[in-house]
Amino acid sequence: MAEANQLFKEFKIQSVSEFFRRNAAMLGYTGKVRSLTTIVHEAVTNSLDACEEAGILPYVRVEIEELGTEHYKVILEDNGPGIPEKYITHVFGKMLAGTKAHRNIQSRGQQGIGISGAVMFAQVTSGKATRVITSTGGDIIEAWVKIDVDKNEGKIVKKEKHPNPKGWRGTRIELEVKNVRYIRSKQGVYWYLKLTAIANPHAHIELIEPDGKLIVFPRSSDEIPEPPVEMKPHPRGVLTDDVYRMARRTRRNTVRRFLIGEFSRISDKKVDELIEYIAALRLIKTEDDKNVQEQLYERLMNGDVKAVLRSFRGYTKVVKQVAKMMEKPPEKLTWHEAEEIVEAFKYMKFMAPPTHGLRPIGEENIEKGLTNILKPEFVTAVTRPPKVYSGGIPFQVEVGLAYGGEIGSGFDLLRYANRVPLLFDAGSCVTTQAARSIDWKRYKVDDLDRTPLVLMVNVVSVHVPYTGTGKQSIASVDEIHEEIRLAIMDAARRLKSYLGGKHRRLYQVKRRKTFEKYVPEIARALSVLTGEPEEEVRDYFLKFIEERLAQKEATVEEVAEEVSENA
Amino acid sequence: MPKPKAIKRERPKEKFSYDPRKVLSRLEEYGRNVLEAIKAGKNPYFDIPMRGLSNVYFDEKSRLIKMGDKLSRRYFLNVAHARKFMQTLLVMAYVKRLVSENKHASLREAYYANKHTIPGTKENTFEDQRESDPIIEDLERMLGVLREEMHITADRRGYIYGDIVIRDGEDEFNASKLGSGGWAVPGTVEHIQFPEINVDYALVVETAAMADRLIEEKFPKKENALIIATQGQASRGVRRLIHRLHYEEGLPIIVFTDGDPYGWYIYSTIKQGSINLAYLSDKLATPEAKFVGMTMDDIERYGLKNVTEKLKGIPPNKKGGPSGDYKRILEEMEYPWFQNKEWQRQLKLALKWGVRIEQQALANKSLEFVAKEYLPEKINNGDLLP
Repeated sequence: MAEANQLFKEFKIQSVSEFFRRNAAMLGYTGKVRSLTTIVHEAVTNSLDACEEAGILPYVRVEIEELGTEHYKVILEDNGPGIPEKYITHVFGKMLAGTKAHRNIQSRGQQGIGISGAVMFAQVTSGKATRVITSTGGDIIEAWVKIDVDKNEGKIVKKEKHPNPKGWRGTRIELEVKNVRYIRSKQGVYWYLKLTAIANPHAHIELIEPDGKLIVFPRSSDEIPEPPVEMKPHPRGVLTDDVYRMARRTRRNTVRRFLIGEFSRISDKKVDELIEYIAALRLIKTEDDKNVQEQLYERLMNGDVKAVLRSFRGYTKVVKQVAKMMEKPPEKLTWHEAEEIVEAFKYMKFMAPPTHGLRPIGEENIEKGLTNILKPEFVTAVTRPPKVYSGGIPFQVEVGLAYGGEIGSGFDLLRYANRVPLLFDAGSCVTTQAARSIDWKRYKVDDLDRTPLVLMVNVVSVHVPYTGTGKQSIASVDEIHEEIRLAIMDAARRLKSYLGGKHRRLYQVKRRKTFEKYVPEIARALSVLTGEPEEEVRDYFLKFIEERLAQKEATVEEVAEEVSENA
Repeated sequence: MPKPKAIKRERPKEKFSYDPRKVLSRLEEYGRNVLEAIKAGKNPYFDIPMRGLSNVYFDEKSRLIKMGDKLSRRYFLNVAHARKFMQTLLVMAYVKRLVSENKHASLREAYYANKHTIPGTKENTFEDQRESDPIIEDLERMLGVLREEMHITADRRGYIYGDIVIRDGEDEFNASKLGSGGWAVPGTVEHIQFPEINVDYALVVETAAMADRLIEEKFPKKENALIIATQGQASRGVRRLIHRLHYEEGLPIIVFTDGDPYGWYIYSTIKQGSINLAYLSDKLATPEAKFVGMTMDDIERYGLKNVTEKLKGIPPNKKGGPSGDYKRILEEMEYPWFQNKEWQRQLKLALKWGVRIEQQALANKSLEFVAKEYLPEKINNGDLLP
């Protein structure tokens, strides 16, 4: 027994660092390049979220200093609301204690581990504490934060207060990390920030690279996005655990009130319906004949709940039992009952979930972001109306398309989930699949891999269905795939009409040149034939071409506009 | 005592008509039309009679291959036409300079004279002589004048020998006093004049060897004939010369070729014109020309069977036939101007026997046979094919 105790004690001591090490992949700390990107990601996300909630136009500055081989100092500074002194350990020290982790809300954060993961990473690779300088407008607080591995909480190693005569507000953190590498690759910090800047045109982002080079992604919109609001979960989007846990936490006094009050799209009548469905399911389970059972399930699926109930003798008794369950206090709800409720939800019909909580970037802002960062000659964006996948999870797709200008030859796909750039696992992402499934030739893009084209896709949802633990690629859900396709096709149609117009104009210029280049020859010959001065003949011809082609171009333009209006 | 001759010089039907001012005025007229159109804001164009078989027909009345009235309109403001429009004007201006300066240029010279890079482009006005030659032909049809009248000369080939006086620019000479080589026919014969003609007819001979034979045998002098050697297919200059000698000087034209499809085709072009130059038939063809030989009948009459040669190709009744010479003969049988008993008979015999007979085969009898017996006999007896 003593041995077992000893064993358990050791296990406990190692728990947090062990957890971190074991789950490094899930948390984004794998690979030397990716680890660095993840640190920057966590910090930038925190800054943007904080600014958004405080209604501040964000100014974010990232500085990477090279201290030695694979040894860097990452400095991140923002103009956010700052962190009150007593929350510093909470923000930087506690793992798995995010503010949004258990809320039904669209969020940038993906891991629920946030900046404390970065602090942890710094601690385990360099052994150094993270330096935090922050102010909410009063004194400037400078603190060195470490994570107490035993207690799974933040610990301030050293703290100083400084006067703040200029009223500075914001947060600056400095992390010293080893085992990472800075490269300007498509998985690196530079690319991450560039993509972030595109999706957040309201943010001013700066990067100082290890060689001292300053890169600025300037702000192109003064519109601060509204923070997302929490939405009540939709019955089709919950798991047994959710219902069970929510029932423990709720302040409502009956299960019925709990269901009506904590879920969206559940009314008093729906609970009555739910009672019948649960009763029907209980009865069906008593049926021995597998075939009959199968048929009954099918009828239930078709909404024929009354008929299913009537096929059992004494069904009213069961219905009454279930109705009784609905009137008991929610905290008395058993796991089994929660399971029954969730199962019945699957057979019932509900209104689509509310989508007011979703916060897309918006067509105008996508266009601003793409124009500002990529400097294309053509840009367009499409934000689709919200849709629902797997019956109850709202999501929304938006795409932006940028063509030509300073964009180099070749197709680039920029993937986002809730505005956060996805840099890894592109191959398995539904976004990639949808983009590749488009017949680009139909949109005047003959050779996709040689066209200067950038496509950005942002999938917005409370629950983005990621594949795997890395959370860097979106699962191939049919509804999402289709929405992405529709959005791309819509944007591509606009690109087509732009390219069409461009081809037409090029053709006109070429056509005009065809005639104009012969004019000097013709003028000289006609002058020989008629004795008319060469200059005059030339002017007659040039004037004629000008008049005729101007007329033609005008009519062509009109036609083009009509076409694009129809499209 | 010479025998009375069947062939005599006739009354002239045309007059010497060459006038360089006509070409110049036509060129200026077209130039002015273009200028007027552009000034009025209209798209200038040229109407050019179409070339090719589709615009060619045989005119029964004049018995000439003639050009139809199909026109193609060449606009300036048309992506497909603009280049040719420019080229047409370029050549027109060049012709104007040539004619007014009284200079002559060959087709190749005309090509090089007008070829240059268009400023500001990598494009040449003419990339190839194959571009400039058709433009010159277009102008012939458009203006209704001969290339030669525009002072652009064709290849020269052929020569004449006989007692006629020729005035060529400042030179004047008798074509029977230039030695056995005769007078080489220049590419352009428009300006040539004939102050004196002392012959009764002109004998057009296919091969130079036969013409030389006749000259050596003093045939021109004895028979009072003008020898015209075409050296194969008659050049434009020679055809024009034949035409002019016939129409302007009233000389009967008698053609003497090999007895094979190729020889008969030479006769056909002299007589009726060719499809390529249908638009010039009026000026180049001589429908009144007659044919003296060789014919299939000659083989029998003069016992030349052992000097015939086999026709090339596959006969019509054999597998894969008709091809080669046979095919050619069958085509010639369809020609409107060969639709008469005499010619159909000759062509059918050639098919039947599958042989051809060359002019030189007559040397089988003796060298002087052709000059002393064959030709005088046939010509004076009027034993000629139409």
